[in-house]
Amino acid sequence: MKIAVMQFPGTNCEYECLVAVKTVGMDGELFRWNRPAVELSAFDGYVIPGGWAYADRVRAGAIASKEPVMDTLREEAAKGKPIIGICNGFQVLVESGLLPGTGKIDMALAQNVMVSNKKIVRRGYYCDWINIKHDATPERCSGSFIIDKGAMLQIPIAHGEGNLVTMNKDLIRKLNENGQVVFRYCDSQGQELPEFPVNVNGSTENIAAICNPEGNVLGMMPHPERAFFSWQLPPHDPRKHSGQAGPGRLVFESMKRYIEVRA
Amino acid sequence: MSHKINLRVWLSIPDAEAVTVKNTLVRRMGFQDVLVDVKKERLFSIEVDSGNPEELAKSFAKELVNENKEDSIVLFDELIFEGGYVPVKVALHIEDGEAISTRERLRNRLGFKNVVDVKKATIWKLYIKGQNQERVAKEIAEGLLINPHKDSYEILAKPKDYGLIAY
Repeated sequence: MKIAVMQFPGTNCEYECLVAVKTVGMDGELFRWNRPAVELSAFDGYVIPGGWAYADRVRAGAIASKEPVMDTLREEAAKGKPIIGICNGFQVLVESGLLPGTGKIDMALAQNVMVSNKKIVRRGYYCDWINIKHDATPERCSGSFIIDKGAMLQIPIAHGEGNLVTMNKDLIRKLNENGQVVFRYCDSQGQELPEFPVNVNGSTENIAAICNPEGNVLGMMPHPERAFFSWQLPPHDPRKHSGQAGPGRLVFESMKRYIEVRA
Repeated sequence: MSHKINLRVWLSIPDAEAVTVKNTLVRRMGFQDVLVDVKKERLFSIEVDSGNPEELAKSFAKELVNENKEDSIVLFDELIFEGGYVPVKVALHIEDGEAISTRERLRNRLGFKNVVDVKKATIWKLYIKGQNQERVAKEIAEGLLINPHKDSYEILAKPKDYGLIAY
């Protein structure tokens, strides 16, 4: 089971993702953007990690989305192979039209706008541990294949542009009806409060992750690879020294299980 | 009397973002036969309701331009360009937090209470050869320069020679 961990100029989470992929028992390999794109077809799944591909020039994900490797990923996605885009990887998937999966750019991940008591209290980059709730049914999406609906994960975010906006008035309704909203930001009790710090970036309907209609392509702003081991959890977390798996591991375990089931 | 002070700012050192855009358009998007070069400017459009616009413009340029790496030109109540390229103005159509922050900085931290509004944009200067330059500029804008769910663009009037005030 071979997984390509994509590496664009400016990607900076590829090694953590590679460790995560290998630790759950898959064969991981870094795949540089300038390798022959056709070689991607030999892989069973793909991770587009976070970072600043091409230094976010023009806007996050825009330049990377034009690379030949993205054309190949479109073809492989059409075959049902899983693709997980994390943070900047999510932005690349949006700019390439792979998400929300209508084949065109149908949404944007705009600058974070933190609203509290109906006032803007902060804008831009933000880094913190947040809670997300799984809003899809199990087996709906490759990256949350083994996660129960309603399960909560504590995972860090670190981004300046994760605010899902769209001019397509029907898009959010369709995402909800199709079960394409995979994770939403929530508080520690699971309540999806619309304001900061629960809705950490002002995203429409607290959306933190979506998948394509087929479910094999997932984009998520939080970083599961940074909560893969329990020792990565924050100092006050009682699980930190438990030796258990971190909550983010479920995303990579899901990818593996999705590939096994499809085989 | 109200005035709009247009402050055009560009890098005097190499602009890596403009080079990346050119490379992407030429190598990845098929514009190699028509696109000659790409340059970029930042545009601040600052509306003031009183004061000497020339003095204000000098003060704003001191705050908004880093003279170690940037040059600028000020235009009052109009926006014109030098020629030889198609200017494409790209701005957010959703709330622009950076523009709001700039306005608040000028008004509240630096005391320019006559600043009514600040708008920010990027001017992409597309050096295009051949016919149908505006059509090519439109394709480039819609193909790379904007995400329509947050950005809008405008192909500005054909550049012409004009007396510019440089700071």
